[in-house]
Amino acid sequence: MLHWISLLCAGCLEMAGVALMNQYAKEKSVKWVLLIIVGFAASFSLLSYAMETTPMGTAYAVWTGIGTAGGALIGILFYKEQKDAKRIFFIALILCSAVGLKILS
Amino acid sequence: MKWGLVVLAAVFEVVWVIGLKHADSALTWSGTAIGIIFSFYLLMKATHSLPVGTVYAVFTGLGTAGTVLSEIVLFHEPVGWPKLLLIGVLLIGVIGLKLVTQDETEEKGGEA
Repeated sequence: MLHWISLLCAGCLEMAGVALMNQYAKEKSVKWVLLIIVGFAASFSLLSYAMETTPMGTAYAVWTGIGTAGGALIGILFYKEQKDAKRIFFIALILCSAVGLKILS
Repeated sequence: MKWGLVVLAAVFEVVWVIGLKHADSALTWSGTAIGIIFSFYLLMKATHSLPVGTVYAVFTGLGTAGTVLSEIVLFHEPVGWPKLLLIGVLLIGVIGLKLVTQDETEEKGGEA
């Protein structure tokens, strides 16, 4: 269970890393670069830890899935990106299959 | 040849994912770090001349398929159809989301 929680955190940190990269694109400041490095380093460390018990393919798929779905959710919730049915459907698809993979493992 | 960059980025992606699970020495950990840096760099380079959403969709598809394949072929990880099916569904979600989101960014780019 601990490994799955760290996989979840790794996915969230990846999402944060990508958000910070967008922030850096808007405002070139050293503080963002440092946060990006810390965020991704923590994300990769947690992913590596999760892989101790979770098969590589499953861990990687869930990690990317959480990063992508989470990024889209944040866009919809905080940046007023369009929330059309298609996007919600794909987000739900990712989250359901991630939960399914957890149940299966 | 631009799409070659995306394929190469995905290859490095698979390399670092394997490294995260199997690296056990300074040499293999360095290889893992180089894999991360190269896959990032090549992906960024590819997005300069190709549509971002499509690049990410193709990249994630190749990366996930490559990772699952290499764990089966190289590391003999036991694999069942339910797991492959769920990874496939997750992949459809990621690729779909990235392709749908791309239209939106392009529209925004048009407005700016």
